[in-house]
Amino acid sequence: MPSDFAIETSGLTKVFRTPWKRREVRAVNGISLSVARGATFGLLGPNGAGKTTFVKMLLSAVHPTSGSAKIFGRNAADAEARRPIGYLPENHRFPTYLTGNGMLDLYAGLSGMPSGERKKLIPGLLARVGLDEWGDVRLGKYSKGMLQRVGLAQALIHSPTLLILDEPSDGVDPVGRRDIRTILSELEEKGVTIFINSHLLVEVELFCHEVAILHKGEVALAGKVKDLTAGKGYRLTAMQVPETVRSELALKAVSVSARDGLSDFQFLSREDANQALDLLRAQHCEVEALTPTTSTLEEVFVKTVQGHTQA
Amino acid sequence: MIATLALIQDTFREALARKIFWGLFGLSTVMILFFLFLLNIDIVEGAMATVTLFGRTVNRVSDVDKWVRSTQAIVATFLYTWSMFLAVFASAGLTPSIMEPGRIELLLSKPVSRVHILLGRYVGNVLVVSCNVAYLVTAVWLILGIKTGIWSSSFLVSIATTIFVFAVLLTVVVLVGVLFESAALATMVTIALMIMSPILAQTSTMLKLLSSEWSRNVWRTLYYCVPKVFDMGKATLNLIQRDPVDVAMPIWTSAVFGALMLVAAVLVFRKRDF
Repeated sequence: MPSDFAIETSGLTKVFRTPWKRREVRAVNGISLSVARGATFGLLGPNGAGKTTFVKMLLSAVHPTSGSAKIFGRNAADAEARRPIGYLPENHRFPTYLTGNGMLDLYAGLSGMPSGERKKLIPGLLARVGLDEWGDVRLGKYSKGMLQRVGLAQALIHSPTLLILDEPSDGVDPVGRRDIRTILSELEEKGVTIFINSHLLVEVELFCHEVAILHKGEVALAGKVKDLTAGKGYRLTAMQVPETVRSELALKAVSVSARDGLSDFQFLSREDANQALDLLRAQHCEVEALTPTTSTLEEVFVKTVQGHTQA
Repeated sequence: MIATLALIQDTFREALARKIFWGLFGLSTVMILFFLFLLNIDIVEGAMATVTLFGRTVNRVSDVDKWVRSTQAIVATFLYTWSMFLAVFASAGLTPSIMEPGRIELLLSKPVSRVHILLGRYVGNVLVVSCNVAYLVTAVWLILGIKTGIWSSSFLVSIATTIFVFAVLLTVVVLVGVLFESAALATMVTIALMIMSPILAQTSTMLKLLSSEWSRNVWRTLYYCVPKVFDMGKATLNLIQRDPVDVAMPIWTSAVFGALMLVAAVLVFRKRDF
């Protein structure tokens, strides 16, 4: 029976042992995580949190010490489980003796795609990642951003239903990042599950609907991005606020800041924000904006990692 | 099957890019050109012949057939010594290269088993060397045949025996490559085995010289365990020169050795974390 989940792990653990002293390093510690079909999922965590080891266990490049990993209900250790996966590794080293066409041909062949089909698909795919004129050039001549693009094309060539991307925007310029996001959005619309492992929190926040934050090999926090960043308060911005009014508002505001004649007041409740607005209007101050604010994913990330460290 | 072909094709591409294929091909071509242009043989009444090298008469041959077989034996000896060294040296980097970080993860992410990946690389490597061996032997055989009218098919057997010995030695390269990811170490170990082979082949003499039964047993064990490069080469020369040949034992012991090395390499490769 087909699984509802693209990725399912249960108690997934990896312990590395040093060869002589047999000292243990617990890189991943009992991670149980589920990623639904069609989801866009971001895996976050500081360096050494176990993100890459976790991804490598999904691909069976690293063998788990205990626990299990399933891809669309199939044991990840089974080679066939990897057929629906498109993968772009971090710090990839594509064979530089291959051209863009040759590289795509090789990896499509390894995915079991017949030669005729490969030849038909490759030009279109290179065009899709903006490398249509580079197909016959050796990868050794590509820039880092171009390698990232051709790497993405390699991950897409066999029409995967699960895309695992490790730092997909690494080395890519802003325009390229936008292009990659556009491609990923198209894939999301087609129901492809997208799993992103990235340090770029803004990128994850922009694209992923769900995240998990790993710390010291464990899931420190997981959930929907909108839930994790919701409900922080309201920011009121006004011009030329007299010092007396500013002092009065500062009593209820959680933070006050000033720049270029504008004052920003941050309130936790809607009621406090409305009272402040009334006071400012009564004093004939011009109100620039009143905006509900949310936490950024970065704030959630920092708070989670610090909290987990203290715990 | 598609994945296997992709793996083999990739090995060829890498061998071409590393100039391995072209290096071996160039060496073979130099030898072929030597036989084609610099070595002239004049047959007189089907028996007498004059051999000229660089335009100068170097030998008067009464038995053309014997001379052709001796020449083929020289080529076979070259194949078993220098060519084998070069082939091992040139192939040593092809296994560790697939295990480079950033490359192996991508290979393992494809729906291909680890056994498949390693064996695909191994077969590709054997084929690269096989093409060169077949090219050299067939071309020399054709040239000598056309120039002398003597078509000694036993020389063609050296294609099979050379490839067999290389395939056995390559299993050592693969195992050491998988264990230590070092092309230099893989070359050293394999060449050490090649050097040991002619020494260990002196079994009958050594068994007489060794004083204790224990040391004789050690010698015998080593002899049977190590691939028989020397014995295979000698058997090939005997075959070319129509001398008695007994290759059964060198073939099966070398084949068992190669199979064990390959199984060990596969087991290590399957177990490793990347």
